[in-house]
This record gives sequence, C-alpha cells and structure tokens, in this order.
Amino acid sequence: MAKYWLIIKLVWIEKMTYRVNFCLEIVSSVVSSVILVFLWLAIYRSSSSTAIGGYSVADMITYVLVGGVINNFLLTAAGNTEMSQSIRDGTLSSVLLKPLSPHGLWLFRDIGDKSFLFLMGLIGYAAVFMFFGGYLLLPASLAHFLVFLCSVASAGLLQFLLFEALSLLAFWIENTAGINFTMRVVMEVLGGAIIPLSLFPPFLEKVFLLLPFPFLVYFPMRIYLGKIDLTAIALELGKEAAWIAGLGALNLAIWKKGIREYVSMGD
Amino acid sequence: MFPWAIRTLATLNRYFAIFRLLVKIGLMQQMAYRSHFFMMIAGKIIRIGLLFLFFQAVFLRVDRIGQWSYEQVLLLFATFHIIDYLMSVTFHRNLAFQFPMRVRNGELDSRMLFPINLLFLVSFERIDLIDFFSFLPSLAFLGYVLYRLDFAFTLTQAVTYAALLVNALAFLYAIVLMIATVSFWTTQSQGLARIFDSLLKVGRYPLDIFGEFLKTVLIYILPLVLIAHLPSQALLQALSPRSVVFAFGATAIFLIASVGFWQVGLRNYLSASS
Repeated sequence: MAKYWLIIKLVWIEKMTYRVNFCLEIVSSVVSSVILVFLWLAIYRSSSSTAIGGYSVADMITYVLVGGVINNFLLTAAGNTEMSQSIRDGTLSSVLLKPLSPHGLWLFRDIGDKSFLFLMGLIGYAAVFMFFGGYLLLPASLAHFLVFLCSVASAGLLQFLLFEALSLLAFWIENTAGINFTMRVVMEVLGGAIIPLSLFPPFLEKVFLLLPFPFLVYFPMRIYLGKIDLTAIALELGKEAAWIAGLGALNLAIWKKGIREYVSMGD
Repeated sequence: MFPWAIRTLATLNRYFAIFRLLVKIGLMQQMAYRSHFFMMIAGKIIRIGLLFLFFQAVFLRVDRIGQWSYEQVLLLFATFHIIDYLMSVTFHRNLAFQFPMRVRNGELDSRMLFPINLLFLVSFERIDLIDFFSFLPSLAFLGYVLYRLDFAFTLTQAVTYAALLVNALAFLYAIVLMIATVSFWTTQSQGLARIFDSLLKVGRYPLDIFGEFLKTVLIYILPLVLIAHLPSQALLQALSPRSVVFAFGATAIFLIASVGFWQVGLRNYLSASS
C-alpha cells in the first residue's frame, strides 16, 4: 500500500512544479462557471415562475457552482493521456517491469491528480462561493452530505474507468485523442455538468439516464440538493456500482487482449 | 503604369501561394491519423449539437433571455461559433499555444531566417483542417437559423453583418497576438490564453445577462461584444452608423496596439537555443 501512497505523493509534487499554469487553468474553469451563473440568473429573471424544472434559483446556482467544482476535477484531469501515450511510444515496457500492477499505477496517479485538482479547485471556487453566497445552499442534511461525498468519489472512479477503456484502445488505434475529446464533450453535457438533465425534453432525459454519465455530476448534485430520497439513492448507487464493476471487467478483458498484441520497439 | 500596384499584387500573390501550401501541409499532417481526424470532427459536431440542445432545453422553460428571443439567441450562438471556428482554423492555436513553445525552445530562430514576414508565418504556420471541416456544419446551422428568422433582413444588413464578422476576426487576432507576445518575456502564456478562451464564451450569450458594470466593461474596455453581439444585432435590426464606426474603430486601435506590442516584444527576444 505504501508504494501507492508514494505514487499519489509524486503526482502532487509534479503538479506543484507547474503551479502557475495550473492555477490559471483553475481560474479559467471558475470563469466558465461564473458566466453560467450569470446566464441562469438572467433566465430566472426572464421566467414568469420562480422554479424552472423543479429548481429554484438558489438550487440552480448551487448546482452550477458545486457541480462546477466536481466538473473541474473530473474534466481537467480527464484523459489519462499517459496511458495511451505509453502504449504508443513503448514506455509501457518499463511500467510492465515494475513490481506493481499497471492498472494500480494509473489508478493511483489518477487519484493523485483528481484529489489535487479537487482541493485546489475548491480553493479557487471559494471566492466565487463568497460572492454568490446569498444563493448558495448547504447540503440537504448531514446524511445527504456524507452520501454526496461517497457519490463524488465513485464518480471519480467511474470517470477513470470510462477513460481507461478508451485509452486502452491505443493497442489498436494509433491516436486516441479524437475519441477522448468526443468523450469529454459528451460527458460534460450528458453528465449534467452544464444543465440538470431533468430540464431536457422527457424523452431525452430518459435516454440519458440509461447511460453511465449522469453519475458524474447530475446524481451527486441531486443528492446534495436533496432532490432524491435516501432509498432511491441506494438504488442508484447500486446501479453505479454495477457500471463500475462492468467497466472494470471490460477494461481487464481489453487489457488481456491488447497486451498480447503489444509491440515495443527498442532503440 | 503603376509599378507599386504590380509589386503589391505580386507580394499578395506570393503570400496567397504560401498560404495554400500551408493548407496542404496541414491537411497532410492531420490526415496521417485518419481515425483521429474523423473522430475529432465528429466530436466537434456533437459539441455544437449538444449546445444547441442546451438552448432548446432552456427555451422549453422561458421564451426570452433578457430581450432576446429563441431565434435571436440561436443567431448569436451560430455567429459566435462561426467566428470561433475561423479563428481556430487559422491563427488561434498557432499564436496562443505554438508560438510560446517556439519562443521557449528556440525554434523561433530558424523561422526568423525565412524570407517571409515572421508574423505571417507564426500566425498561419499550421492551418487546422479538422476545425475547417467542423466549421462547415456551423455554416449550415447559420443557414437554418436565418431560415427560422424568415430571412428578414436587407442587403445592407447582410453586408454589414459580413463586414462585422471580418472585423470580429481582426479584433480577436489583435487580442490573441497580444497574449502571444507576452511570451517574449515570460516564455509562457498558455495559461493566459486559456483564461481568454473561457472569457471568450461570454460572447455567445446575450449581453443582457450581465449587470450594468460588466456590460460597460464588455462594450468599452474589453469589447467582446464585437465578436458576435454586434454582427447579430446588425442582422436583426439596422445598426446605427455610430455603432459600426465604433466597431471598426475599436478593432483598429486594438490592431495597432497589438502590432506595436509585438514589435517591442520581438526586439526583446533573447534566443533560447544554444
């Protein structure tokens, strides 16, 4: 276990080396969220009713900002580009020689990445939280808050597995950046990072809810805002666990097939 | 009869030929990874589609944002993305991301020796054909929006719209050039460029969403209204001559300032290579 802690620590040290660029990235993500907040405030001003799709203005601003923090660490860290990179350029060979599982290495590097981005993002968003403090809601209850934290953690794991599946395609496809990009785009909207899914036309909402993406932002935020009761949460968490297990199994299968095809050119 | 005119034409012709060559090289480079090429295009088209869906979802609940109706918001959105794509096809990544890298690793040196204008080369070195093919559907989308607006505009309005689009590109060029120039001193400006990218998104929403103070900033200090807001307004109702003069005047000021800044930066360039 100690070696995995070390991986997380190393990622944090790496991140600190490029802190200026990284802080600016957080600022840019905060700016995007603030623009969305202004947009929603204007939409509520234009609306004749006080709630839109069951969301009051305070619900929505909380959704956009707290969801923004989640999205920040899910999306900014997204990609696991080093996984596909190492398959493509052959550095995977040195990973294979190390006395640890490559999946474990990538998973813990990802955890390091995400935990760092999450904490830094939280600091970055603090100023915005204060500015829009009047609209910001606290979690529905302590129980909701604790379950919310669990759901955020599992969202991180689910996102890792989704991107791992794509990155492993690098065994067969030379450049996976295109697929990665498409996935990020789809994830942002279908995950509910821009707008709660219940605001989409009912048919689309139903389709989206069949996919794993809503577990990334929409589900945690519904827990936070208390828009889903605790029994329903248990059911949804079960579904999410099934997705995680299924994707994990799929990734192992892809890995097993891919590693047989893996060729590394030495120099 | 007019030797200067012939010379100018010859120069223009030469730069046009170079530009065509850069397009060809860009296509060859990007087609090297075919699946990547088509996936990126698909991703970008899906992005536009999903954002369109976002506005549709919003307008299921309200019929206006500020003073702007559904069709008007879509026009703003289509206009913004057309400009955004034209910028990405041409100078955006070259200046904002490639250029700082070349300053850092000293690759700029060899480019200074080429017998063409340095600013031209670093602005258009890599033409992004992925974004060009993603740009075509946004044109179709604009067509759809204009159809929904019943093509209710005059020829003068259409010409003003087109002129303001060119103006918007020139304005963005000035801003991106200024950001790129900072890297002569800092050797890094990608972070700044990213913040600007997020700020730019302001341009795709109606200005009405902001309070008076921010509105003033977005009109007079960092006039992001020039990107999509003013062109869209020109198409929706005839703009006052004052607004048109303001748009071109502001861009001219930004362009002059940015080229001046670039020249100062270039004089300060200390080659990083050995």
